Formats: sequence, structure tokens, C-alpha cells
Amino acid sequence: MDERRLKESFARVAAYGDEAALFFYSHLFLGHPEVRDMFPVSMTVQRDRLLEALGRILAEVSNHDTLVPFLQGLGRDHRKFGTLAEHYPAVGASLLATLAHFNGTEWSEDLAGEWTEAYTVIAQVMTEAAAEDGTTNPPSWQATVVGHERPTMDIAVLRNAPDAPVSYVPGQSVAVECEARPRLWRYYSMANAPRPDGTIDFHVRVIDGGAVSTALARSVSVGSRLRLGPPVGALKLDVNSRRDVVLAAGSTGLAPLKAIIERAAGLGDPPRMDLVFGARTAAELYDLADLEKMAAQWPWLTVTPAVSAEVDYRGETGTVADIIGRRVPLADRDAYICGSSAMVAATVKRLQSLGMAQDHIYVEDFGWSES
Amino acid sequence: MTHANSELVTPERVRSAAFTPTRLGRRGLDEAEVRSFCEWVSDGLGRLLNDNSMLQAEILRLRQRLLGGHGKDAKPEDVHIQAVHLLSRAQQTADRYVADAQQYSRELAVDAHLRRDEIVREAKVRASMILEEAHTSASEAADTVRATNDLPPASEQQEIQVELAYLRTFSEVCRTHLRAYMESLTRSIDEWERAERDGGLAARGSVIPKQHV
Repeated sequence: MDERRLKESFARVAAYGDEAALFFYSHLFLGHPEVRDMFPVSMTVQRDRLLEALGRILAEVSNHDTLVPFLQGLGRDHRKFGTLAEHYPAVGASLLATLAHFNGTEWSEDLAGEWTEAYTVIAQVMTEAAAEDGTTNPPSWQATVVGHERPTMDIAVLRNAPDAPVSYVPGQSVAVECEARPRLWRYYSMANAPRPDGTIDFHVRVIDGGAVSTALARSVSVGSRLRLGPPVGALKLDVNSRRDVVLAAGSTGLAPLKAIIERAAGLGDPPRMDLVFGARTAAELYDLADLEKMAAQWPWLTVTPAVSAEVDYRGETGTVADIIGRRVPLADRDAYICGSSAMVAATVKRLQSLGMAQDHIYVEDFGWSES
Repeated sequence: MTHANSELVTPERVRSAAFTPTRLGRRGLDEAEVRSFCEWVSDGLGRLLNDNSMLQAEILRLRQRLLGGHGKDAKPEDVHIQAVHLLSRAQQTADRYVADAQQYSRELAVDAHLRRDEIVREAKVRASMILEEAHTSASEAADTVRATNDLPPASEQQEIQVELAYLRTFSEVCRTHLRAYMESLTRSIDEWERAERDGGLAARGSVIPKQHV
């Protein structure tokens, strides 16, 4: 494979940006109208992702150690969309047509051969990973909403009963699709360790104008059906660490950390855990009652609520980053952080400035942007 | 807010940009202003990208016409390319409609949040004003009792009388405000029902009274 020629010809296409991605999808849908239904009405985000994924594949093309796991993940992840092995040649043909079209006179039989070879390898890695995943897991899980609470205007707590057990590690998340917003998938963390009855909790924060979060909070109710993708994400409790733990949660970033606390409770000798749970206002500390119950039950757990935008709050005021250094001993600890991008960045910065080592800090960043 | 220079600027990235808040008491930028600026930039950028891709499509079309002869003797593949472009334009139109609807719902939600915060803030100020007023009136009543009764000063009996006068006035002031509040609530529920009967609930403005007490 001539890596340089692949990169050059892709760069010529990528320079057209959105127009190139538009061409690709239109070409695909004209040739195979049946796959159109696998995509949402608006394709804006989809096109962004396509270019991002292709860019990443090209950047890593000679770096097999990172490229192969990335492609395997993509292959597994595409099962939930209903992607089958038969779809791969169609995608390949449209990809080649797009490359040919935007390369214009620079395109040649030779280059087409290079790309065919490269795409064949990519498709093979993806389909093999998908097939292997298929031996143990369904493409997606159907679940019924069995509990739906709205502790505040902007937050909903959903309890769901999947039809078949979902096996996951506390700290992981799944892509969620609801009937009200077909083909729109958004990631939510499981907010509990696996239970005997298999139910899974999600903490949903309504994003202004966010199609899925709004539907999950307002349109979905007990009895609604959801579709869940495979569990993903690397955040999990390091059970081999002998260090105590500090947890930093911003709003619904609490969800994976709550699951991690429950995971620790299942250990014979849980580490000491200090949780700082932050929100803008006291009313938004939606899960505080339950957390305090957990802290009362488990002597190794403490919970400190923090409120950042309410001056007359009676407890700790400030952001999670402000409070974490003030209230929690940090020496020889592991830190687990989840919240908005800004909250995660600020908290990591604070912990590092207080001397915590980078490899003791585990984060999950909820982009909190939706389209 | 941080970003790598190599990242593509997309309207969505501008819109969802997160900024680190300044600490309390420090000078910082007004969050709502920053947000609305980002939305303005994001909209403009979206339009420009749209225009840009249309222009690019036009350039491609012209270039193809130059290279591959004229429209009259177009080859079958060219027709296919025309179909691809046609579908692309239709998709862009659909994308724009969805984006517009989302923008509208976002604006409504942001507006509702601002109004809610304002109502809560006003209510808090009002509540503390009522408590202050009750305290002032009650203290005056207590002073009057202290000055006018015949009981020995600082005796237990006098203190009880003074305390009684304070509490009586305090509860009276609170009761008066509470009654006024309940009446205004009843009024707004009546208004609400009327609005619903007229079938214009959604079109009507707020039915929550500006001043509760």
C-alpha cells in the first residue's frame, strides 16, 4: 500500500469538507435506497463523523497498534445501526466514487487499486470484529422504562429493564435511542452496578434544544421502549489499586461515579471514598438524598455537596474544583472525575496543581452538546 | 475553553463551546452574552459553510462542463452525478429545516430558563423583604409594650409580654402577606382556566402574575 498516495488523494477530497461527505451519502443512498432508513433525517452530525473517522484512519494508517482496535470498535459499534456485512461493499463503492469525483484529473486506475486494497482491509477488520461480537451479544438491546422521575425541571432519572441482560463494567455507558427520536443515538452512563434484576438507571440532563435529552425527560414515560447499544468506555474502578479514592461529579456526571461506588461496596475491603457532588444550585443536587443514605450505610464513603451559583447556600459554595482541594485529603489517592468538559478540565487542573499524578486521575468527559 | 488548531471549526463546536467560569468575586464575562455571541457566530458559520459548498458544487459543475464537453452529449455517468448533486441539495434543505427547528426550540428553552431564574430571584428578594418588614413591625410593637406596661423592667413577666407582642405582630404581618399571596395565586389559576377555555393558552403570554404579593 502506498501510504503517501492514499493520504494525498484523501487530502484533496477532505479539502471539500462537507460537500465531499454530502456527495458520499447521496451516492450511497441513490445506489442503495434501503440503507437511508438507518440514518437520521438531518445528516449534519453524521457527515462530520464520517470525515472525522476517515481522517483518523488515514492518520493512523501505518500505526496498526492503534488503528486495529479503533476499527474493531467501529465495527462492533455499527451493529446497533443494523449494519450488515453486505453493506460494506456498497459503502466501499460510494467511497471510491467520491474519491474519484473530487480527485478529478488526478484520479487513476492505479489509485483506485490502492484504495480498493486499503478499503478491503478496513472492511475486513470491521466485519470480523462485528461477527465476533455477534457470537455473544445482540446488535442492540431493547429495554422497557420501568421508572421515570423528574427531580428537577431539567433532570430525569430513568430506570430501565432490558429484555436480555446487558453485561457491563460500572463506569461504562451505552448509546440510547428512543422511539420519539428514531436514529438519534446519545451516550448515557449506567448509574448503578449490575443488579440481580438487571435494571439499569440513566441520569438525563435536558440540554436546551437537545433532541434526545428533551425526549427522554419529557416524552418518555413508564412503559416506553428504548434501544441500547453495546456498553463502551474505559472508566472503571481500579480494584488493584491500594490507594484511597476521591470522586468528583458535576451534575449528572454523577451517574458513572455512583456505579463505581456501588462496585466498591461489592469488594471485601472497599477503599475510603470521598465524593464531591457539584451543581449550580441546591435544587439541582438531584440525587443527594440517595447519596446520603449510601454514606450512612457505608462508613468508608463521605459525600460533600457543592453549589456554585447560589451565594446564600448553607453548605460549601464554589465549583467542584474549588472545593476538592479545600475539603478532601488528596495525598496518595486515585481520582475519578465526570461532568461537563469545563468541569472536568478545571478539576483535573486543580488536582495536578495540588500534586496528584496524571496516572492516578481517571476521567469521563460528557460533552453535553447535542444536535 | 481549549481547542486544537487542527480541529475543523463547525457551527456545532462553536455552539457547544464550554468556557471555564471565573471564580466568584472575580471579573468575568457575562455568560448569557458569550452564549448568544457563540450562537450568532455558529449561525453565520453555518450559512457560510452552506454557501461555500453550493459554490464548490457550482465550480465542479462548470469544471466538468469545460473538461467533458457540453450538456447536450452528457454520458450516462454524468446523469448519475447530476442525481447525486440533486439529492445532496435536497439533503441540505432538510438539514437546514431541522437546524432551524432546533435553534427555535433552544431559544425557547433558554428564554424559559432566564424567566424562571428571574422569577425565583424576585421571589427570594420579596421573601426577605417580608421577613424584614415583619421583624421591624414586631420590634416596634415589642418596644411599645416595653415602654407602656406597668410591670417591673427586665422582669420575667415583662419579657414574656414583650415576646408575646413581638410574635403576635410578626405572625400578623406574615399572615397578611400570605393571604395576599394566596389570593393572587387563585386569581392566576382563574386566569389560566379562562385562557385554556378560550383555547389560546399557547398563544397567550404568561399567566403567572409578575408580583405575587
